[in-house]
Amino acid sequence: MRVVIIFRQDALVVPALELDSRETGASVDFLGIVRELEGDQRLKGLWYEAYEPMAQRLLERMFSEVNELYPAYNVYFVHRIGWVPVGEASLLIRVQTAHRGEAFGFLSEAITRMKRDVPIWKRA
Amino acid sequence: MNQIRLLAFAQARDALGFSERVLNVAESDSPAKIISQLGIEKPFIGWRVALDCEYVEWDAPVGARSEMALIPPVSGG
Repeated sequence: MRVVIIFRQDALVVPALELDSRETGASVDFLGIVRELEGDQRLKGLWYEAYEPMAQRLLERMFSEVNELYPAYNVYFVHRIGWVPVGEASLLIRVQTAHRGEAFGFLSEAITRMKRDVPIWKRA
Repeated sequence: MNQIRLLAFAQARDALGFSERVLNVAESDSPAKIISQLGIEKPFIGWRVALDCEYVEWDAPVGARSEMALIPPVSGG
């Protein structure tokens, strides 16, 4: 499984579709977008920060563990750092698998684990 | 004594008033002890601590590790 992990300040760009394997039957892009309402607060955006070296390490480990459950050909992960306005994406995960079940399963499990353990923070 | 780099992120930075500080510690010192020596009572509900980018228990000895990070509840995505 090929894994790319990027932290960047500027806007996310969804890359053109590239396939690592002719066996790829599913390529799913998940975009996490900043919403205007957070509880009863109307936001203009969110500020993100990360402890990047640890985040990188935990993400690599987590993706390989999730790959054991939902085999994937590659994972492309980009998280914004700094200010992200409402309506823009703070997170992009692309996962490519043989079948859709693995893709949706991988994404769901990976995002759950990321939100639980990976040292990234947002604040209004 | 060793030097350890203490990093404080998000709410930890707010609580401590700094994001980074180099401290002199003994290998037998634990993160809990190091933090209390800064005059800050531990535990902070939900905070974790990492040594050299690995989560550890608050009472684990720091040993020869060089970086300690205070990790408030994370909220990525």
